[in-house]
Amino acid sequence: MSTFILPVGPQHPALKEPTSFRFMVDGETVVDADLRLGYNHRGIEKGCEERTYIQDLYLLERVCGICSNVHMTVFAQGVEKLMGIEPPKRGLFIRCLMGELERVHSHLLWLGVAGHEVGFDTFFMYTWRDREIVEDILEMISGNRVNYGMQTFGGVRRDLDEMQIKKALDGIAALKARTPYYLNIGASEPTLVARIAGVGVLPKAKALELNAAGPTTRASGVDFDVRKDDPYAGFGEHIPFNIVTDEGGDVLARVVVRAKELMESYNICEYILKNLPAGDIRVKAPRKVPEGEVVSRAEAQRGECIHYIRSNGTDKPDRVKVRAPTLANWPATLYMLRGGYVADIPIVMAAIDPCLSCTDRMAIITDPKGNEKVWNWETLRQYGIDFYRKRGIKL
Amino acid sequence: MSLRLGAMLPEVLKHLFKKPATVQYPFEKIGVPKGFRGRPVMDPNLCIGCQMCVKDCPSEALEIHKESEATDEAGKVSKKFSMTFYLDRCSHCAQCAEICPKKAIHMNSEFEDAAFDRGALKIVYK
Amino acid sequence: MDILKIFLYLLVYPGLLFLFVYSTFVEWIDRKLYAKFQNRMGPMYTGSHGILQPIADFVKLMAKEDIVPDKADKKLFNAVPILALTSVLTAGLLLPVWHFSDAFQSATSFQGDLIVIAYLLALPSFAYFLAGWASASMYSAIGGVRVLTLLFAYEVPMFLAILSPAVMAGSWRMAEIAAYYQANPWYLLINVFAFAVAVVALQAKLERVPFDIPHAETEVVGGAFTEYSGRKLAMFRLLADIQMVVGAGMIAALFLGGFPGGLIPGFIWFVVKTLIVVFILAAMRSVTARLRIDQMVSFSWKWLAPLALLQLVIVIFLKGYLQ
Repeated sequence: MSTFILPVGPQHPALKEPTSFRFMVDGETVVDADLRLGYNHRGIEKGCEERTYIQDLYLLERVCGICSNVHMTVFAQGVEKLMGIEPPKRGLFIRCLMGELERVHSHLLWLGVAGHEVGFDTFFMYTWRDREIVEDILEMISGNRVNYGMQTFGGVRRDLDEMQIKKALDGIAALKARTPYYLNIGASEPTLVARIAGVGVLPKAKALELNAAGPTTRASGVDFDVRKDDPYAGFGEHIPFNIVTDEGGDVLARVVVRAKELMESYNICEYILKNLPAGDIRVKAPRKVPEGEVVSRAEAQRGECIHYIRSNGTDKPDRVKVRAPTLANWPATLYMLRGGYVADIPIVMAAIDPCLSCTDRMAIITDPKGNEKVWNWETLRQYGIDFYRKRGIKL
Repeated sequence: MSLRLGAMLPEVLKHLFKKPATVQYPFEKIGVPKGFRGRPVMDPNLCIGCQMCVKDCPSEALEIHKESEATDEAGKVSKKFSMTFYLDRCSHCAQCAEICPKKAIHMNSEFEDAAFDRGALKIVYK
Repeated sequence: MDILKIFLYLLVYPGLLFLFVYSTFVEWIDRKLYAKFQNRMGPMYTGSHGILQPIADFVKLMAKEDIVPDKADKKLFNAVPILALTSVLTAGLLLPVWHFSDAFQSATSFQGDLIVIAYLLALPSFAYFLAGWASASMYSAIGGVRVLTLLFAYEVPMFLAILSPAVMAGSWRMAEIAAYYQANPWYLLINVFAFAVAVVALQAKLERVPFDIPHAETEVVGGAFTEYSGRKLAMFRLLADIQMVVGAGMIAALFLGGFPGGLIPGFIWFVVKTLIVVFILAAMRSVTARLRIDQMVSFSWKWLAPLALLQLVIVIFLKGYLQ
């Protein structure tokens, strides 16, 4: 069979969100891979400029459904730096706790998705069933299961009481007892191992060269973690934990890294819940932010999440730039896909835990005469509406 | 770790005799915990019309209108306000409840908010 | 009288009516077991504990819009589901459910029916390939090629596996093979390797996890069935269920001693023995991940085929020894 192009996306069962891959396929082998992003652009960065800081907090939370808390944390701590306020220690600890609980739910979700991508639905059902435990803890603490809305400027919005701490500890103990089983299955079920071992290999040198992020790069032996390398909130001197790395560089290594990170996260959660400092959870924050610019970052479950914020002295930011971890992982993903099998496409793609809506951007190409265009929120919105109308979609 | 064929088989067979983890949702419901962020409910008697909730709402789901204005014998002016709330825009962040200086807004534990008619999602508290 | 009997076979038992009802029941059992294994409930609403759910699904699909792609080879596209369904229904007729003794001979049991049933059960795979070919879609084409690749992997071990009991019993007729083992129940244990190979090969034939490679949802969408919808898809779904029943029935007749004892006990044996096979199939699909096509082929030729050959050698020597 000669080579032909296999389209994956914009709509495809392997994709949870729209994006477009073009694979040059020779029989069952992928010769070349190409990616086109931009099907899920929502104009959030532009939207931020038109809203107040407190509204942006909730808008940025919705950059991603799975790592909502991380975006909120990064934005909040960036704006706190601009305001020059320091949240109380209890607030910072709860901030870390939310981050780790979110990591737990996300990694459990990912384990299930990885199982589903290789047709192992029982694995998927079990991990998602156990994920309910951490979802219930999150719901109990924050009042919501997905967008927790816990972070705010100057601390966190809700406190924990004794009852909640006890329940959370019970839930984490149950998960802690359960997780080694998944690690065990991931490394010993022959059909599963056959599908993930030696697949989508990313050597350490390539991981560094292509700037991969998060568990993807840690599974290639790069021990980078913002929690350790640029400690924020309660990390650093307060909360002890280890960075998990693996030398494998394949999908199996990524499963192992994530499963072990789960164990680390349980330990962090237990430490925080047992050593929660007394005191306030937040300080009062001003509504207007002094002029300045800041880069804020945190370790999301998928890798390093960065926000750049520029303020102009009003209650609305001048510019917000979001770099979600998935964007950093795309070049590495294309590298991993090349030379693999068609059957490995879904699992290799899923192995970076992609979040497509986080990464979508729009580029306006300036015409040769140099007429630079500056778009405001309304024009951007109208452009979006016209774009779909032109293609016959009724809005 | 060594490979074992059917590594999950004992676990799977054990589940043959276990109660399912799922429930039959519309007939059987799991309650929500205390402090759940359902839809905002406003008490018009407490509202002073400061518009803080309207300013902070990220999804522009709230409107506060003055309903009536009365002056009693002592010359004290009392105003009544109503809140129009669009459930279809609400993102359940509870910022309105948090910012309200008089604690006139709280979140209830209603989570089945779907409706066939958009009009049914416009709620007026007065 | 013979004409009536033929119609009874064709339409009622083990023909159309029985195969339809029983295959939906087996699908329900399979889904329920799969759900139980996964700590879920499975179908619950239609009928008692969702027992009518497969029938409801079938009716729903029949009522759905039936789309034929513009670029598809329309005649082939329309003919393939009927061809495939016919072949498994015919295969169903050959199950030795009416053959109770040499005195009560069944018209559909004859010397060599084992070969015919194996052949008829292999036909749907060719139909899937043709369906993929006729669809003129990238995913269907890949699915179709995978069906054929898979066929070369499992069909030889399957044939070798069903050869062993036949050689042992010295007959090509399923009813006689079953009767032989009914007379000597302990001889069933001889064929345990062949039974394992046959069950695994049946799983591959039915294209279920870990061998659902041709229509792996996350890779090739629906495989050969990507472009099928409505009635034709319903036919394919029904055919897969019937294939499971007939395949399980064939394995039960060859490896589990058939269905002795007249109409009613025979029927009960049929249900019990096919459900044993279905249970194994359901358990197999719940504890494994989907293999890759190259892994599947090498697994077949490295493990399944040699194991079936070993079994054949054992049987031949044992038979020589016993005589």
